[in-house]
Amino acid sequence: MPAPYAGVMALVLGIETSCDETAAAVVDEDFRVLSSVVESSIDQHRAFGGVVPELAGRAHVTTIGPVIRRALDDAGLDPRDPAIDGLAVTSGPGLIGSLLVGLSTTKALSLAWGIPFVGVNHLEGHLFAPLLESKDLEWPLMTLLVSGGHSLIVLQRGPGHHDVLGETIDDAAGEAYDKVARWLGLGYPGGPEIDRLAKAGVSSALKLPVSMVGDDFDLSFSGLKTAVVRATEAHREISLEDVAASFQSALCEQLLRKLRHALERYEVRGVALAGGVAANSALRDGVTQLAKEFGLVAHLPTMAMCTDNAAMVAAAGLYRLSTGVPSALDLSARPNWQLAEVS
Amino acid sequence: MNVLAIETATPACAVALRTGEGEEFSLVVAVERHHTEALTPGIRDLLERAGVAAKAVERVVVDRGPGLFTGLRVGIATAIGFALGASADLVGVTSLELLAYGASRAGVRGNLVSVVDGRRGEVFVQTFGLDDGVTPVSEPRVTLPQSVLDEWIERGDAVTFTGDGVGRYEEIFTSLGTATIVEQRVPPVLEAVRLGAERPVESRIVPLYLREADAVANFTTRERSS
Ligand SMILES: [Zn+2]
Repeated sequence: MPAPYAGVMALVLGIETSCDETAAAVVDEDFRVLSSVVESSIDQHRAFGGVVPELAGRAHVTTIGPVIRRALDDAGLDPRDPAIDGLAVTSGPGLIGSLLVGLSTTKALSLAWGIPFVGVNHLEGHLFAPLLESKDLEWPLMTLLVSGGHSLIVLQRGPGHHDVLGETIDDAAGEAYDKVARWLGLGYPGGPEIDRLAKAGVSSALKLPVSMVGDDFDLSFSGLKTAVVRATEAHREISLEDVAASFQSALCEQLLRKLRHALERYEVRGVALAGGVAANSALRDGVTQLAKEFGLVAHLPTMAMCTDNAAMVAAAGLYRLSTGVPSALDLSARPNWQLAEVS
Repeated sequence: MNVLAIETATPACAVALRTGEGEEFSLVVAVERHHTEALTPGIRDLLERAGVAAKAVERVVVDRGPGLFTGLRVGIATAIGFALGASADLVGVTSLELLAYGASRAGVRGNLVSVVDGRRGEVFVQTFGLDDGVTPVSEPRVTLPQSVLDEWIERGDAVTFTGDGVGRYEEIFTSLGTATIVEQRVPPVLEAVRLGAERPVESRIVPLYLREADAVANFTTRERSS
């Protein structure tokens, strides 16, 4: 089938349930966000130091209905006849039990409303976030996508055209934050707390190894976590603030060094930051600096766009529905769907 | 009233429809856990067969458990989406009562225990009294198959067991001389349209899990991936 929907996708409802956020959003053809609702079950997971899949699945079932209703309502749409042209849902990667809730709800809406839907890759969703916030976006774009589950450097040649230059070979950046935070006895998630403490610390207090010095774009953070554990055991006198500052500095140093390397190698018009770790102040400062140095526009997401949301899913879906074939009703969730597999 | 029912509490997945004229249609869409893939296409096929438009469905009835957690969530999420999209009412029924109504329709009278396989050596059970109607005489609960049997050995009364849990623990349930077994692998989805049509509308469907999330007890966690 050729692209039968090109040009007729005026309004798309996006649905996201890949991890602990239940989200729905309405985005129009000009990538304007008409509504975006996010409910998180994070409070239920804190005690466990990470997202508990079964608890996340249960929370999604409870919240999905009200969240979609609110998204329609906020956009001024009547659920009876919502004037929605298409639906987009995250169908992977993520927790299988969570993905299924959004996917099942979306398919049923698609059937009941008689409109097409498309399964969207969650990471591609993150890549579309800058389109929602920067109207003057110029391609190509070098994007650093960092979250609790993923860490990638992606060359975006245009919307939906992306090459994964490198990614983490072990832990994700956000995962490293969580593990170090747990080691230090801080709360979950670890990112915000370490970021806050680091502001009052000295980043040279702990000597941490420089990792991943190779010429490629791959990343690695598990060694860094181990180094923090060893160094803090050897130097118990060092303050929490100094440990946080040293760890954060080392982590950002690796990310920024690889990003710099990518900017030297490929000619781009802008540099973008995406994913939950994009909320990190040191990383935002570093990317801003780097962009300035290379004479590029830096696209830093707002806090609401860093966390998982459905507006980015709707944006990716808008593109996929406008240029390709919608998904079939028998679509499966793909918990391990790689960004490199998206075409 | 056009009533659609969704059944996903066991490894099978079934849908049924009753039209305003009282015509009934049903379809088993998957037998071994392909709920996510098979359910919505199954609903589409059923509606086509019945000649009923999706938007003409006025009520969606869903089995809210107990049963397999993932299957239940697929069924309930589908019901939520369909009801929202079709502006239909939403009603929940339980797998255990569907089995009891199915047994009643098959002519069973007296004590009936609905037994749904809960995995991990456990079953979800509820006892009903079947005469002219179906009366629950205990609350739904999770227990060991042997405990169910011990209870009826002690009582010494005649009893009928039904549900996929009976097949799973056949050697246990068939060991009781005073027991009869009525085979029903899947909670009968046609009973859901009949039962659900009579029920008051619910603002939201609360899944009947009957068991805490593992991690709450075991502290097994997976890393957050936002
Ligand atoms: Zn994410």
